[in-house]
This record gives sequence, structure tokens and C-alpha cells, in this order.
Amino acid sequence: MAEFSRRDFIALSSALALAPSVGAAAAQPQQSGGTVIVAFGAGTPRHLNPAVQSGVATAVPGTQIFASPLRYDANWQAQPYLAKSWEVAKNGLAVTLHLVDDAVFHDGRPMTSADVAYSILAIKKDHPFKDMFAPVASVDTPDPHTAIIRLAHRHPAILLALSPALCPILPKHYFDDGTDLKINPKNSKPIGCGPFKLAEFVPASHITLERFDKFFITGRPRLDRIILQIIDDETALVIGMEQRQTHVQFFASEPRDIDRLSKQPHLAVTDQGYAGVGPINWLEFNELKKPLDDKRVRQAIAYALDRDFVIKNLLLGEARAATGPIHPESPFYTADVDHYALDLDNANRLLDAAGLKRDADGTRFGLTVDYIPGPSVQQQGVAQYLRPQLKKIGIDVTVRAAPDFPTWAQRVSSWDFDMSMDIVFNWGDPVIGVDRTYLSSNIRKGVIWSNTQNYRNPRVDQLLAAAATEIDPAKRKAQYVEFQKIVVGDAPIAYVNAVPYHTIYDKGLGNVPTTIWGSMSPLDEFYWEKKPA
Amino acid sequence: MALLSLLVRRLLHAAGLLVAVVCLNFALIHLAPGDPAQVIAGEMGGANAQILAQLRAAYHLDQSFADQLWIYLAHVARGDLGRSYYFNAPVAGLIAARVPATLLLVGTAIVWAVAAGTLLGIAAARRPDGLVSHLITVLSLVGFSAPVFWTGILLILLFASALPIFPVEGMHNIAELGRLGWWGGMLDVLYHLVLPATTLGLLYLAQYSRLARASMLEALGADYVRTARAKGLPEWLVVYKHALRNAILPVVTIVGLQFSQIFSGAVLVETVFDWPGLGRLAYDSILRRDSPTILGILLFSALIVIAVNLLTDIVYRLVDPRIRSGP
Amino acid sequence: MSLATPGAEPAGAPAIASEPAAFADAWRMFCANRAAVAGLAVLLGIVAMTVIGPLVYRVDPFAIVGAPLLSPGAAGAPLGTDYLGRDILAGIIGGGRASLIVGASAAALTMLIGITIGALAGFYGGWVDQLLMRVTEFFQVLPPLLMAMALVTLFSPSLATVAVAIGIVSWTAAARLTRAEFMRIRNLEYVQAARSIGAPNRRLIWRVILPNALPPLIVSATLTVGIAILFESGLSFLGLGDPNVMSWGLMIGNNRAYMLDAWWTATIPGIAIFLTVLSISLIGDGLNEALNPRLRRR
Repeated sequence: MAEFSRRDFIALSSALALAPSVGAAAAQPQQSGGTVIVAFGAGTPRHLNPAVQSGVATAVPGTQIFASPLRYDANWQAQPYLAKSWEVAKNGLAVTLHLVDDAVFHDGRPMTSADVAYSILAIKKDHPFKDMFAPVASVDTPDPHTAIIRLAHRHPAILLALSPALCPILPKHYFDDGTDLKINPKNSKPIGCGPFKLAEFVPASHITLERFDKFFITGRPRLDRIILQIIDDETALVIGMEQRQTHVQFFASEPRDIDRLSKQPHLAVTDQGYAGVGPINWLEFNELKKPLDDKRVRQAIAYALDRDFVIKNLLLGEARAATGPIHPESPFYTADVDHYALDLDNANRLLDAAGLKRDADGTRFGLTVDYIPGPSVQQQGVAQYLRPQLKKIGIDVTVRAAPDFPTWAQRVSSWDFDMSMDIVFNWGDPVIGVDRTYLSSNIRKGVIWSNTQNYRNPRVDQLLAAAATEIDPAKRKAQYVEFQKIVVGDAPIAYVNAVPYHTIYDKGLGNVPTTIWGSMSPLDEFYWEKKPA
Repeated sequence: MALLSLLVRRLLHAAGLLVAVVCLNFALIHLAPGDPAQVIAGEMGGANAQILAQLRAAYHLDQSFADQLWIYLAHVARGDLGRSYYFNAPVAGLIAARVPATLLLVGTAIVWAVAAGTLLGIAAARRPDGLVSHLITVLSLVGFSAPVFWTGILLILLFASALPIFPVEGMHNIAELGRLGWWGGMLDVLYHLVLPATTLGLLYLAQYSRLARASMLEALGADYVRTARAKGLPEWLVVYKHALRNAILPVVTIVGLQFSQIFSGAVLVETVFDWPGLGRLAYDSILRRDSPTILGILLFSALIVIAVNLLTDIVYRLVDPRIRSGP
Repeated sequence: MSLATPGAEPAGAPAIASEPAAFADAWRMFCANRAAVAGLAVLLGIVAMTVIGPLVYRVDPFAIVGAPLLSPGAAGAPLGTDYLGRDILAGIIGGGRASLIVGASAAALTMLIGITIGALAGFYGGWVDQLLMRVTEFFQVLPPLLMAMALVTLFSPSLATVAVAIGIVSWTAAARLTRAEFMRIRNLEYVQAARSIGAPNRRLIWRVILPNALPPLIVSATLTVGIAILFESGLSFLGLGDPNVMSWGLMIGNNRAYMLDAWWTATIPGIAIFLTVLSISLIGDGLNEALNPRLRRR
């Protein structure tokens, strides 16, 4: 069978590749070579430039092609990357980056502070996340290897904003050509100074990344090639991993498949590497729609939603509970809030108190629930689950499915919804991914993932504004703790679970990315410890 | 020459038809509810009013419908099918990249269905009550009644767990890309082609074998065949030379007529088998509200259907001189 | 020629004008065809299941009855549960409604549009024919599934939208068939006779010619129902059907990702579609043999 002979072929070639390095292994284990094929289930990215596009599909390849000033470890500590050292001014209004002097782009031109200045200002202008670099007043470049970011006010989030996925350093000489960066065709043929260069981008098929020999960290990257195989079909993802055609899957979130693959002798599973993303699956309420404008009604629904049932039955116990606006793995998280544990009696009492009586067949009122289209159990499953569950407290739920993502986004962003399931990422610092959902100043019709709930709480606005400029970590945490308590109490959203992202990988792989950003970070240390036989 | 003037008339007719199709589709997609700029912004990850305004200007969305239609037609005449909202890449390029995969799939399916169908039909016609004839009846009923995406799923189940001989998804083995060379790469693709082409072909095998059997039965009963037999010509000569041409013609005609439907079947098969063809692109684009790409694909498929119909028409006239182009 | 493919040659011999005797004859022939009768029985069974089933087996197809992906027989779910823990048997019973209703109404719409256009084109000829044929050609060139997908997403999916979309993209075959029949019949003697005694065109079309053109149209209508059911299941499979109505195609599409672990979830609904369309095809075949005099002569 051809299947068998293909394996023979791989065995032969890898044996040949390993042989000479066996003796040298003890002395110089820097480079291991080889190709890693990633089972990429995030879909075909629109293009490969994270400077103007948020999302996993662009970030994973983008962070291989582009480098950034800082990178992070698993403990939320910033590590040097393009910036070999950095200082934050005492008044908090400037961040000085001392750049490495030997970084070159894939076309050979050197990376300088001019590129850093250009990139940060471009991201500020065109990236969908406005709050990341909004306080940047200017970027000074006193010499080619120093960049000073000048801030209009103190902005502790700036350090996380300099992460690989959020601050790719673009070559000014390549991208600054007069075209609007958002629609520049070069976004699909990018060059950067990251560890890998783009060899091929075939939509719906694969993205091939090749080792950049002049990467500024010697001995890195350790792999010769990374191929992101774009696989849309869940079954195909599983079969590919089982049959060893793909070696690693990032952002795996289907509990059943994670379970199945974890039983494979050649695979291992980890849930580390997703703390930075901070993904939360939740049910959001439109406070403009009666009776959802009454806090008691929202709380009642939260009490009726049995989080434990969802996690145990629909998610096979693979996910952590989410209890508030901040992801459980964030340093700002507090569990000291009302968890809204299942309590149907309380729910009924709240609805009665709100004056919503049951009619002849026990119905108090009706609501629709939307969800992000697709067969995801977290979205469609929970939405469907709400039907029989909320019936128990007298709410008649109609599930409203959208045929495609733009329709759903349109409905929610134009406030044409009652309740909707949603998945929103924290993106590291609360200023970047959390504020946008709760600030009353971010109630913007037509913009998805803004404050579509129309939630207004002046104290929350105050706290978030203060925390955004608070440099003292203890004070900042205290502010976010209070923020979480208030928001959970106001219940503009019923929090269900942290999205159970996992990395499934071949046991022969070493340095599987488990920093807070996981695979949305340079894979320069990733290598084949033991290539498959 | 009569044939030439006919050809010219037909071509003009085809061009007019194509323009009408383009206008209809454009109107349909642009008059539907929803704001494309917000679609794009949503795909980017969110936006503000300023970015929305910039996107509208970039894609001519701030102009009147009539203006947009005119701009679009003018571009199409030059071969420019616009830029995809999702990829921001030329639609013509996206389509061109996917066409070979779909042509390969559909072409292979048609060829094997026609060949196998005709042979089965001939065999059945020679023994109208035999095993092959009954087999054809059963096969054609099953092939017609079973949803094509379901047969695909059944094949995947069979070949993924029970008999892992053929790959169940995709067109290449990515791991080997670049290592296999031209011939090896070709074989790899053919290997991946087996299951999807079988699934798609089964659907048509059903009809073609029945059609072939019926026309063969008729042909074999015709006078000139009886004459040939009376003349003492060997049976195989009678069947394969004289009757075959009559049997295969209706099948070929049907293929031409059904071409637009064959493309639809390809959408489902490509989705089930993760085959990176035009059908998948159409489906993905519809889900993303990527209007320029949807329009481009509709235009392209209309073009192909018109071309195939034209070709079938000409071939038919050339083959069967009894037909004159009348009013 | 069975399994009347679109555009295939219509029935050739002159129709018999006396209707009651012909239909009794046809019915007898139909009943003699065992496969056709079996098909009819199965179809009636499926319709009965769809209508009576929900009253007997009172489980909401959308209700979560147990853990996801249970095998048939577990936890009181005779056919197991799907990926959300919903009863598959309830889904099969409930899903029949969507398929049958959409199938029948889409076929009705198809035949309505097709027969009207074909009748007018075939009867009047001349510029009316030319115009209507251009229109037919126009619709024929559009790829059916893609157009239906586009129509459904543009106007938000519901049972009605799906039925209308299918109807709009499928009528050209019926139109061509009707036109051919009308062109054949309009010159026959009894039609000339009716015309000579001053019957108005409307009467000629609907009362004289159409009844005689019916046999191939009935067969076509039957097969169109089967095609419409397949079409609807394809759209639901792709996620473009009405999401608030359980349908067999939707069940296959939803559970496709889990078929490695629970093959029955995606396979069983397919069997339902298969049996329904198969029975309709057998009936269509039977009708074709019964009503098509040409085959009868063999």
C-alpha cells in the first residue's frame, strides 16, 4: 500500500538526517532540523499581517514571520526579543526600548528604530483594538537602535501590547508605499524579521514557513520548516493527528476529540499556553430590551444556567468555569464573586419580584438567543440547552441561528438581539480585551465586540479608567477585583466557561509552546527531540 | 458558410446571456440586507466609524447601485473580477487557483461514470433480463436516491477506520509536498482523488447506465442493425460499431445539459472531503458574505455552462448531419 | 425510458382522448408493478410516521434527554443521542416534516412555474416562445445549488425561503418538458377540431391540451419531489436550512464531526432520506411505465 511506503520514505530520510547528528548531539544541540506539520483548524486567515487584523488564524503564522519588541514566558514576565532591554520612566509616560543591532528583515535590510516607530503608529491607526496604542503620542528615534514611546498618560498595558501577536514590527521600506495598510496586498506576501519566512500561502490548503537563516538569535529557529495545514473539517483534524500526518494541533477545543486523541500512545496533551488569550464563553444580554433591562431578570437567568451541567455534560469536564469578565488564568482574576450556582428557586423568586407573572401555561415572557454560527458545542449547544432549561423558570426561548458569521455579527452589533452566546478574548491586559465590553464610552452601534450589551455603570467606568493608568500592581489588582465584583453583581453577562483550548502534540516534540501566548509567539525553540520512526 | 454564421450568432447570444446573468446576480447580492463594510470590519476583528468609512471608499460602496454595477461590468469586460472582501486578493486569481482541483474532480467523475455507465448499459441491453440489467436498475435507484454527501460520509467511515487504504480528506499529503517530484506528486493527488471522484461519479453512473441501456435496446432493435446481422457481420462488430454511437450520443447530450447540476454536486463532495476546489470556495464565500468572490464564481460557472452547451450543440450538429438549424 | 432525466425525449405516441378508461388501465398496470407498490407503501408509512409519530412518541427533538452521543438503546433513546444529547428517533420523526413539506411545496412551485411557462411557450409559439425560451435558458445557466445557497443566505433561512429558492432554480426542466408536449399535441386532430368550433385559447390550453400532456408531467412531478427532498437535505447539511426546524440533512451536518466516535448519528438520518427518495423514485418509475404507452407496447 502506498500508505506504508510513504512511512518507509519518511523513516529512511529521517534516519539519514539523524545519523550524522547523533555524535554531535551532546556537543551542539542547537539545531535539530526537520519539518513540523501543524493541524491548523482556525481557518484560512484573510492575510498574514497581525498589525491590522486580530484573531488566531493570522496571529499564529504572523508571529513566526514578524518579530516584536517583547515576548513573554509562562509567568507573565516580559522577556527580551527585539528589545534587548527596556525601561519604563518613573512617571510612566515613556518606555525606552534598546533594540538589538543585528536583526535583519527577510530581504536582508536591517531592522531599525524607524521600523519600530512606523509599526507602532500604523497599528495605532489601523488595528481593530483601539485601546492598545491609543495613548501613544509619538515614538522618538534618537538613534537607529533606540525607540522611545511617549505616552499621553500612564499606560501599564503598553508592555503587554508589545507582545508578538499585538505588535509585529513591519519593515517600513516594504509596507509604507502609500497604500492603505488595511488593504495592502503585501499583507499576503509579508516580510518581517521573525524566525521564519513565508514560502507559500495557499488559501484553504496550507501555509509554508521556512527557516530564516539570518535570524538574529543564533542557533534559532531549530526547525527547518513549519507547515500550517489548513483543515476545516473536524474529523479530518482528528484523523490527521491519529495517522501522524500532522504533528501538533494548537487551539484544539472540541472536548470529544481532545479526549480521543489523548488516548493515542504517540500523542500528549496540555492546556498550557492560552492564558494570554484568555478566552471566555458567555451569554450576553441586551439591556435595551425589556425585561432584560431589569437586573433581577438577568440574575435569574444566570441562576438558572447550570454551568456545572454544561461543563460536565457538553464539555466532558474539559473546561474551567468562568465566573467573571476576567479569565481565571489572568493575574487579575478573583474568584471572590457570586458564582451564580444553580438555584432555580432563587431564579423564580427574582422573576416574581420583578413583577413578571406566569400565565396559564407557565410562561412569563419570551426571549430569543443567538449564537456564533457553526456546530460548536459551546455555542450552539449551550443556546439549545437554554430552551428546556429556561422553560423551568417560565422563559420561552427561541433559538435564532444565523446562516453565517457576518449575519450574526450584524445582529449583535446593531443591538438586534435579546441574548446571545459569544466568545471573547481577554488578550492579556484587561485594557486590551476587557474594557471594550464594559465601558459606557464603548457603546458603539455597528461595531462587533464593543459594549453591545449597552451596560452602563459609572463606578465601573471610573474603576477601569483608573486601572488603565495605575502603575502600582497591588493597587491595580485591587481596582480590577472591585470591578469584577460589581460587574458580576450587575450581570450584564452570564459567564459560562473558559474556552478549553488545548495543544495536542507528538511526544517526540520538544519545547512545545506553553508561554502565556502559546503558539501566537515565535516557535524558534520548538524542535524535534525525537523524530518519528 | 452556414455553420460559421450559426457559430457567430450563437456566440453573440451566449455573450448576451452572460451579461444578463452578471447583472441579475449583482443586483441580487447588492440589494440584499447587510452592510458589506461592516462585514469586512467584522472579519478584521472590529472597527470604528473611521475605518468603516475608509473601507467603503476602497470598495466603492459609497456610490450608487447603478454606478457600482457599471464599474463592475467595465472591470469584468477587462477580465478583472474585483477583489475579495475577505482575502483582499483578486477574485480572478482565487478562482484560477481552485479551478484545476474542481476540473480534476468533476472531469474524472464524469469520465468514469460515462465509461462505466455505457459499458454496463451495453452489457445489460444484450441480456435484458440478466444479472447486469438488474444490477443497473438497483444501482441507478440507489445512486439517485442516496444523498451524495451521505454516500461520501459512508465512504469516509469505511476508509477511515475499517479499511484505511485511501486518504479521506484533502488533495495532497502536505508532509510530502516538495519531496515527491512531479510524478510522485501526481500519484499522490490521484490517490486522494479516488474517494471523492467515486462519490460524485456514483451519482451520475446511476443515470448514464440506465440511459445507455435504453438507447442501446432501441438501437439494437433498429432495422439497420438487423440488416447488419443478416449480412453475417460478427456480433461484436454490430454492437460496438453500429449501436454504440447511437447509445453514447444521448448520454453525452445529457452530460452537456446537466453540467450546471454536476457543478452543484461538486460543492457537496468538496465539502465532505475537504477538497480545495471551486465548490468549497463558493460555500466558504457565501458563509463569509464575500460578495465579489460569490459573483465571480457564479459568473465563471455560468460561463462554463454556456460554453459546454455551445460545444455540445456544435458537436451534435457535426456528428448528426440530419439536424439542420431551423427556425 | 425510465428515470425521466431532464430534457430526455418525452412520450412519443398520440395520447388517447378517452380519459377514464386510460386511467383505470394505468392504475392496473401500476399495481402490477411490485416495486412501485412497495414504494408507495413505504412512502405512505413515512408520511404516517411524520404525522402520527409526534403524537405517539412525545419527545421534543430539540430537548436534551441525556449525555451526548449515546449508542442506540442507551438511556431510553432507541436510536441513541446526538452530539448535544438529543434523541435521534425524535429527530427522525420530526425531521420528516421539514423534508416532506419542503419537498412537496418546492415541487409544486417548480411544476407551477414550469408548466405555465412551458404551456404558453409551446402553445403560442412565435415570439412568445422565443421570449420564454430565452428566460428559460437564462435560469438554466445558473448553477442550482449555488443560487439556492445565495438566495437562502440573502433572505434568511426558513422553510418557506428554502422551498421558494429550490422552486426558483428547478423549474426549467418542467418547462421544457411541457413545451415539447404542447408543441406535439397542439397540431393533433382533436385539438384542431376544438379550435374550429371556436374554443378560446385559454380553454384549449388548460382544458384540452394539458390533460393530455399530463402523463409525462405527472412522472416528472413525482421525481421532482424526490429531487427537491435531496436538495433540501443538501442545504440543511450545509447549515443553510431553517435552524429552528429539525431536518434530516441538518442532523447529518451537525453530527458529521463526531462520526468517527458515533457513526450512527450521521448515518441513520441518511437512511431516512434514502428510503424516502427511493420510494418516490419507485413510484415515479411505476407511473412512467403505467402512463407511458410507448413502453407499454414492449
